[in-house]
Amino acid sequence: MTIKYWLDLYAVLIRSSIRSRMQYKFNFILGTVLAATIQIAEFLMISIVLNKFGAVKGWSLYEVGYLFAVMTLAKTLYRTFASDVHHLERYLTTGELDQLLTRPVPILLALMSQNIRLMPGELLQGGAILYWSMHGMISSGQITWLALPYTLFVIVTGGVILFSIGLATATVGFWITRINELQTLTEDAAQTAVRYPLVLYPAWLRSLLLIVIPVGFVGYVPSLFILRGEYGSWLVYGIALLAVICLVISLRFWKFGLTRYQSTGS
Amino acid sequence: MKNTLPMIEVSGLHKQFRTPVVKEGRFAGIRTLFTREYRMKEAVKDISFSIQKGDFVGYIGPNGAGKSTTIKMLTGILHPSSGEVKINGINPHKHRRQVAKRLGVVFGQRSQLWWDLPVKDSYDILAHMYKVAPDEKEKRQGEMGELLDLKEFWLTPVRKLSLGQRMRADIAASMLHDPDVLFLDEPTIGLDVTAKRSIRGFLKKLNSEFGKTILLTTHDMDDIEQLCERVMVINHGQLSYEGTIENLRDKIGLPTLIRVTFHGTYQLPAPQDQCLPVELGLDAERTFQIVDAGSHEVHIEANRQQVKAMDILRMVSGWGEVADIHMEEPDFEDVIHRVY
Amino acid sequence: MLYFSLASKAYARNLHYRGAHMLHNVASALFGYLYACIWIGIGHDRPLGEYGVHGMIGYIAFTQASLWVTGFITNGLGIPEAVRTGQISLDLMRPVHLFVLCMCREWGQIAYQFIYKSLPIYLLYMVLFRLSLPTHWTTLLYTFVALAASAYMSICMNYIIGATSLWTTESNWLFWVNHALMNLLAGFFIPVEWLPSWLQTVSWMSPYPYLLYVPTRIYLGYEQAGSLLGSLAWCIFFTLLCLLVTIVVRRKVEVQGG
Repeated sequence: MTIKYWLDLYAVLIRSSIRSRMQYKFNFILGTVLAATIQIAEFLMISIVLNKFGAVKGWSLYEVGYLFAVMTLAKTLYRTFASDVHHLERYLTTGELDQLLTRPVPILLALMSQNIRLMPGELLQGGAILYWSMHGMISSGQITWLALPYTLFVIVTGGVILFSIGLATATVGFWITRINELQTLTEDAAQTAVRYPLVLYPAWLRSLLLIVIPVGFVGYVPSLFILRGEYGSWLVYGIALLAVICLVISLRFWKFGLTRYQSTGS
Repeated sequence: MKNTLPMIEVSGLHKQFRTPVVKEGRFAGIRTLFTREYRMKEAVKDISFSIQKGDFVGYIGPNGAGKSTTIKMLTGILHPSSGEVKINGINPHKHRRQVAKRLGVVFGQRSQLWWDLPVKDSYDILAHMYKVAPDEKEKRQGEMGELLDLKEFWLTPVRKLSLGQRMRADIAASMLHDPDVLFLDEPTIGLDVTAKRSIRGFLKKLNSEFGKTILLTTHDMDDIEQLCERVMVINHGQLSYEGTIENLRDKIGLPTLIRVTFHGTYQLPAPQDQCLPVELGLDAERTFQIVDAGSHEVHIEANRQQVKAMDILRMVSGWGEVADIHMEEPDFEDVIHRVY
Repeated sequence: MLYFSLASKAYARNLHYRGAHMLHNVASALFGYLYACIWIGIGHDRPLGEYGVHGMIGYIAFTQASLWVTGFITNGLGIPEAVRTGQISLDLMRPVHLFVLCMCREWGQIAYQFIYKSLPIYLLYMVLFRLSLPTHWTTLLYTFVALAASAYMSICMNYIIGATSLWTTESNWLFWVNHALMNLLAGFFIPVEWLPSWLQTVSWMSPYPYLLYVPTRIYLGYEQAGSLLGSLAWCIFFTLLCLLVTIVVRRKVEVQGG
């Protein structure tokens, strides 16, 4: 399995995905506009509050916007390329996973190549908020242009962390089949929580979001260095190492889960 | 064409399933989450067989007999509890990807194509996945397109295809990487007569002209009768028959129905001197019976394995002037019903 | 009675998944907890209007629990699914009005969610945040009526969203947009009076405040029974709209054959 092989395959997938969406231009535009609306409504919620009351526990509106944007972009990255990892439950209940097991590629990659989900709405919204918040902080002299490469790097490591959490959650499905509810906890709730500075939460919840479900490392922890210059640049590399460790652990878990796969009875 | 190395070799295959016991009562949902109680179910028990290159074998059995489980073990989807599978000498559970490259698998109940994409795009993706060279892909796509008439819905998204079209597209997709072995799990399920016929014609061609080894499971006995040289019958997880269709028919020994029409009147021999079976030294009860006698017509049931048709003819012509004789072979579905 | 049995079937079907739903409740309760934490953080060194920090926590606790009655309705009342499988033509053939059929099923679902989700989540918050119940029983009665009205409005909105699936495959998005608008305009996280004034105007022109804001205000004792008139008006409006939509749906299915 060479890298080129996968890049080619993904290129074909993305091309056909775009082409099939474009067949129904109205639907594509509608979907994009509506997705962006949702994202903006979500951000409006917090920005209205912060605008009215000012900073929250020492975090400015720009900084919260930054956390929000990094989370959105990292999640977009994860969900674009591993859309169907999140939807493993459907493959388990309908037995569609059988079909993937007949393909001459590793199951996980077969699963990931089932669906490329283009998320222009999220990309647009995340990009816009990131631009707005970084622009604000650069003009006020809080950060320099150097923050940009760090931010892009952190979005990628964040995507990897979210993917690892998503994969580990999906793997539990090999035992309990129904995982939607578990996903609400480990993915939706956890991701929502770390869109805000972790200082808002009591200690037990903070450690939960850093140790048990390490979503805190997607945006919050790196922002301590990137936005506030705390700790040092080693923090970012440490997070990259952590992302790799998470990935390895969840891949191991996934492999183990697969051996428990029973298909849908006889 | 045929050589002696078996294409598919299965020995001592077992599969047990663990099914969780559903609990009743208060907080049942929570309790099932945390405790484990299982019932063991043996889906496949000690199955062994081998299939040669170029064979076309039917694999039949009633619902829940273990057909799909066997197929899933052959294709590497499920791991057997014990026993071994070898496809062209390679174990699909140890080298799943290597074996998958040489396999084509079609499940009638679900599609391997991308639901929202046009048929053509699915083929592009599959070609990449199986590393089929572009010129080779074009060639095979053209061949299959011709044989299965895919052109008319080439650019239609799969979800908009009719069942028959989808099946054709699916089978062609499984041939894209030129596999040696084809597993078909109920490929004609839910199809109309025309669609069935077109698929059967294609499968026949794949076997006879392209030399593919094919294992087919189906509930449609016409599929089996028209396509397969050999059948394997599975019931309660065990093979209950393996051999040619003719042998199966003979083994069950369903009687052939013979209708004899006479010109004018005829004279039946008196029961006590029903000479023929005695002449042949056979048990009259099992082999030969007059079931109905009308004014011009006699219905006879005979087991053809024990009584030759010519003997019956000779005897019948002694009764009167024969106008017409009609023989009805036992219905294959009835034969299978006996095996189950 | 048919309508009741439709509803109770929907209720009973859910009972099978109680275990999984309890896990879901933990997640849902956690969401509310997060929002409460944010308000505690904001209220750390400034007053929060007429509510105060404790009042805001009570506000968030109530809206979060109410979401299971007014917000988490089956996507399009299951109509998009029925359109995809072709079941919709069968549903239209039945001697029961499509709107009534879908509505009855949903009432069963809502009743289940009220008992197994809203109540446990609110009880948890009561213990966790030391909340107290309203002192007068009429307050509880009015709150109940207001919630029932908002559940009805939500059913109507989802019926209309479901109907759009006959025209576009992206009707899913409308469900989520409805959800997002509700978060923003219904006073789910921010009480409506704290929205910028233009957004307040938009909000009060829409039915959204009656879904969460008004019931919550009644419950917390800031609003009198008079505001139920607004809920009533919107209920009547939505009923008429749904009947109209059914006529259009029927025509569409008859022309296209599903």
